[in-house]
Amino acid sequence: MNELHAGLADIFEIEPGEIHAGTELDEESWDSLAMVSTIALFDELLNKEISISALKACRTVADIEALAHD
Amino acid sequence: MSFAVPVKATLKAIATHLPDHILSNALLAEELGNWTADKIEQKTGISKRHIAASGETASDLGVAAVERLFATHDIDRSAIDFLIFCSQAPDYILPTTACLMQDRLGLRTSCGALDITLGCSGFVYGLSLATGLISSGAASNILLVTADTYSKYINPADRSVRTLFGDGAAATLITANAAGASSSIGHFVFGTDGRGGNDLIVKTGGARYPRTHASSIDIKDDSGNIRSGDNLFMNGGSIMNFTLREIPKMYSNLKSISGHDDLDFDYVIMHQANKFILDALRKKMKLDHDRVPYAFEEIGNTVSSTIPFAIAKLMESGQIRHGKRAALMGFGVGLSWAGCVLEF
Repeated sequence: MNELHAGLADIFEIEPGEIHAGTELDEESWDSLAMVSTIALFDELLNKEISISALKACRTVADIEALAHD
Repeated sequence: MSFAVPVKATLKAIATHLPDHILSNALLAEELGNWTADKIEQKTGISKRHIAASGETASDLGVAAVERLFATHDIDRSAIDFLIFCSQAPDYILPTTACLMQDRLGLRTSCGALDITLGCSGFVYGLSLATGLISSGAASNILLVTADTYSKYINPADRSVRTLFGDGAAATLITANAAGASSSIGHFVFGTDGRGGNDLIVKTGGARYPRTHASSIDIKDDSGNIRSGDNLFMNGGSIMNFTLREIPKMYSNLKSISGHDDLDFDYVIMHQANKFILDALRKKMKLDHDRVPYAFEEIGNTVSSTIPFAIAKLMESGQIRHGKRAALMGFGVGLSWAGCVLEF
C-alpha cells in the first residue's frame, strides 16, 4: 500500500505523507490524466488492469485502494 | 517448378512535412483554462504542435513531404512504381486519394497507387505491404506516405485530446535491395482487436452514421470535455489498458520470431502517442531511455507519421545509419498494432 500511496502522491504532485485512506479526490487533480496515470500505476505495481469507469467512481484514496484488493 | 527468390527491401530515405501554423501551449492554456502552459508541457511532454490550415488536407501535407523527399535525396520521380497513402482523412469519399496524388506528383501512369486507412499502426502496416510488393517482384521503388489532420476532427474544447495531437506527414522511400545488400525490413507481427473500435473513433461521416444536425451538437462529458458526435473521441483509460496489455507482448513476439533480444536492437522506436504512454511502456518493458527515442515534443502525436518522424530525426543526427537495427512498433486506433525489425 505504501508503494500505491507513493505512486498516487507522485500523480497528484504532493508529499507521500499527505496521502492516506481518507484523502478525498478533488475534481481538479483527479482528472482524466491522473486516472490514466493510475491505470499505469496499477499495472506496474499490481499487474492489474482497471477501468476508467471504476476510477471515475472513486471519491477517496480508500476507494482506489479497494480496487487494488478486488 | 521454381519459385522467385524473395527480394529484400530497404528503407532508403524519409522526408517529413509539418503545416505552418503552430498551436502553442500558451494558447491552449488560454483556451482550455484548466492547465497552465507549463503544466501542459510537464504533463504531456509536448511544447507545441502544428495544425493544418483550413482547406489544407492530409494529402497536401503528404505531397509536400514527397516533394521534399525528391529534392533532398535527388530521387527521379519516374522511378517510383508504387504509392501507398496511409491516412484517415481522405480528400474525398472517392476517388482514392493516392490516385490524385499520383497526378499531383507527376508519377508515371504505370505506377500502382492505393490508400490504406490506418492510424498509429499505419506506418508499420505500410512497410509490410511495401515489403510484400518488393519481395514478390511486383514493385521496386515504393513511396509510403503517411499523413493526417486529426486537428480537423477534434473539438477545440476537448481537453482530453486537443493537447496531444498534431498534424503532419512523412514520405518514406522503400526500395528493392541490390544484390548482396544487408539491409532489410521484416520480420513482422500484427494484431487487431475490433472490440476496441469505440475507444478511438470519429463516429459520423461514414456509411454507418451519416452526419446530421443532431450529431453536430456539442455535449459536455462528465469530465467537462466538450465534443459532438462528429468529433474525435478517445477513451484514454481503455487505450492505456490496451497499450500495456498488448505492446509488451508484441515486443516479446517480435524478439522471439526474429531471434533477437533487447541488446540486439540499437533502437526500439514506438508510436509516439504521448509521454505518459511511452514512459509506462518503457518502464514495463525495462528499456533504457537511450534505446527508446522520444520525438513528439515539438510536434505532438502525428498518428501514422510518428515513427517516420522519429526515424528521420535519428537519421539526421547520424545515430541511425547503415548497420543499425531497430524494432518498430505502431499501435492505436482500430484497435490495431504492428511491429517489425528494420536493418538499416
